[in-house]
Amino acid sequence: MIAIRGLQKSFGAVQVLHGIDLDIADGEVVALIGRSGCGKTTLLRCINFLEEYEAGEICLDGEPLWYRPGSDGARRRVPEAEARRMRQQMGIVFQQYNLFPHMTVLDNVVLGPRFSQAVSAPEAEALGRRLLARVGLEGKMAAYPAQLSGGQQQRVAIARALAMRPKVLLFDEITSALDPELVGEVEDVIRSLLSDRIMMVLVTHAVGFAREVAHRIAYIADGAIAELGPPSEVLDRPKDPGLKEFLRRVRA
Amino acid sequence: MPAGSLALLTQGAVVSLLLAAGAIIGGTLLAILLAAMAFSRFAAVRIVYRVYVYIVRGTPLLVLALILFYAMPALDLRTGPYIAGTLVLIIYTGALFAEVFRGGVLAIPRPQWESARSLGLPPLAMFRKIVVPLVTRYTLPSYVNVCVMTVKASSVLSIISVWELTLAAREIIERTFAVFTILGLAAAFYFVMCFGIDRLGRMLERHLALRGFAGVRA
Amino acid sequence: MSFTRWVTIYGPTYATALVWTAITALAAACGAIVWGCLLLLLRLSGGGWGARAVDGYVQLFRNTPVLLPIYLIYFAFPLIGLPWPAVVCGTLALILQNGAYVSEILRGSVNAIDRVQFDAARSIGLAPWSTFRKIVLPQVLVYSIPALGNQIVLLLKDTSLLSAISITELTMQAKLLTEQTGAAYEAFIVVAVLYLVLVSGTEVAFRVTHRAVRWL
Repeated sequence: MIAIRGLQKSFGAVQVLHGIDLDIADGEVVALIGRSGCGKTTLLRCINFLEEYEAGEICLDGEPLWYRPGSDGARRRVPEAEARRMRQQMGIVFQQYNLFPHMTVLDNVVLGPRFSQAVSAPEAEALGRRLLARVGLEGKMAAYPAQLSGGQQQRVAIARALAMRPKVLLFDEITSALDPELVGEVEDVIRSLLSDRIMMVLVTHAVGFAREVAHRIAYIADGAIAELGPPSEVLDRPKDPGLKEFLRRVRA
Repeated sequence: MPAGSLALLTQGAVVSLLLAAGAIIGGTLLAILLAAMAFSRFAAVRIVYRVYVYIVRGTPLLVLALILFYAMPALDLRTGPYIAGTLVLIIYTGALFAEVFRGGVLAIPRPQWESARSLGLPPLAMFRKIVVPLVTRYTLPSYVNVCVMTVKASSVLSIISVWELTLAAREIIERTFAVFTILGLAAAFYFVMCFGIDRLGRMLERHLALRGFAGVRA
Repeated sequence: MSFTRWVTIYGPTYATALVWTAITALAAACGAIVWGCLLLLLRLSGGGWGARAVDGYVQLFRNTPVLLPIYLIYFAFPLIGLPWPAVVCGTLALILQNGAYVSEILRGSVNAIDRVQFDAARSIGLAPWSTFRKIVLPQVLVYSIPALGNQIVLLLKDTSLLSAISITELTMQAKLLTEQTGAAYEAFIVVAVLYLVLVSGTEVAFRVTHRAVRWL
């Protein structure tokens, strides 16, 4: 499980996150929605430490991540090697440019297990094939990313994230850059992951899809969680006025 | 035209090619170090890089060579003109290659960096499997360009009495006055070398492009 | 001897050499731009053989060092009855060499600028030369300012090679002073600084011009 307490993040003089508290239970899927600039992507990137944060705590299965009190009691970043170990427990898929263009699809997927987790080549390859079959791209193993459609690339990116056997998957608007007809195949893959009961955090604009897959939805406004709850409550019976306006705009 | 001239020019061409080769190898190694400095965490190191590039790119190669040769007699006495000449070329091309590599690193899209970090790749693996291949593919045309510039730059060393193709040509001309033939031949040698390097570069680009990566040749 | 003393004694000597460098660079730059425009015109209007001829010319000068044309004109012209002074020979060589690069820069700009405009101009009946002068050339030149700036800086540095044919520009002057006084360090470092100033000044001038012209 993930426990986030009092997360605060500023970019220079601008404070973007004003103290986020959020718990994610094992196997839970949480969707982060909100207007552009509300901080939902920043929150996601703090979770796997692609952004540093000034205050607050993120714990994974009880272990505090990213910062540790130093010998003098002051808050210190954990050493780089440990940060790498912590990052391996999380998989992330970005909106685009995920895959390394100079490697085949299979090489992209096995890169992490082979070089970060010291998995042997044959084992990694078997794992890669299994995962690619799972996302429906076994036939494209030897292809290069440039030869794939956007939807196919995103599916490979998901397979690559899964190859690390992460405890949590982070998705940063992974269908926003896709042509509409390609969105479905990517959403199908995410649906199929629900049975794995991995923790997932999705930053998304697709409110309809969030309703379908998320156990809880968090509406973020001005760097804080304005409303949090199951889709039936947050989307059908919104209490926050900003959220009501946001949903009105999204549906219209 | 005496046959001896052709032999001399050929020798000169070989010397020019060797000078350029030495400069390209040394310059590439120096450039990797410099490019690493350009991305250092420490501002002081980054400033050293910028100053180095500013000075080397803003001063004519001939002046740099003269500074090294006449103003540092220690270097000149202990080492031959060829070593000193190669050294100047290395200093010069190192700055040019470093800017090429720096541009290549900056061209890598941010999500690729972050994907590599998120996979928890250790630094050596990240460098070997991500940075080097990507930078190579992004910078190949510019790299080949600098290689061609290096071959042409080697002719400048003739002015400080490093014997290579241009000096060979000049010496023959001052003896025989066969200006057109000799310079024509010298030009032909340089053309073959430079054009050849350019063609090799394009072949390499095509080979890399076949492996699914679209190059950035204008 | 200290730098300040050196500079006060030899300042005027450097100044003359600096003027020579600046004059040759300026003359060569203007000549190269004009020559590059002519080459562009030949490429655009000469049909198949025009483009091929310019390509051949460009390839020749791209793949040979600039010292060769300098020596060619300096040594050969007296032999064919044109005993021009060294300065003219050197400047001419720089013009021929850099004209090739200028024409390539302009060609890139032509390709980048919307062809529709050129076709529109032709279709309202503008004669080719007018089209070129009034529509194509101004836009192409403005678009090329940054790249031309880079090329002019290279040309400026190439003036140092004119010392090989005994023109008393900055580099030659530094060599002479070294031979006269033995103070190699001072002689060359001052010259290096002067070049850096010239180069930076030229870069700034082009950046300012670029910004100013984009305003119009």
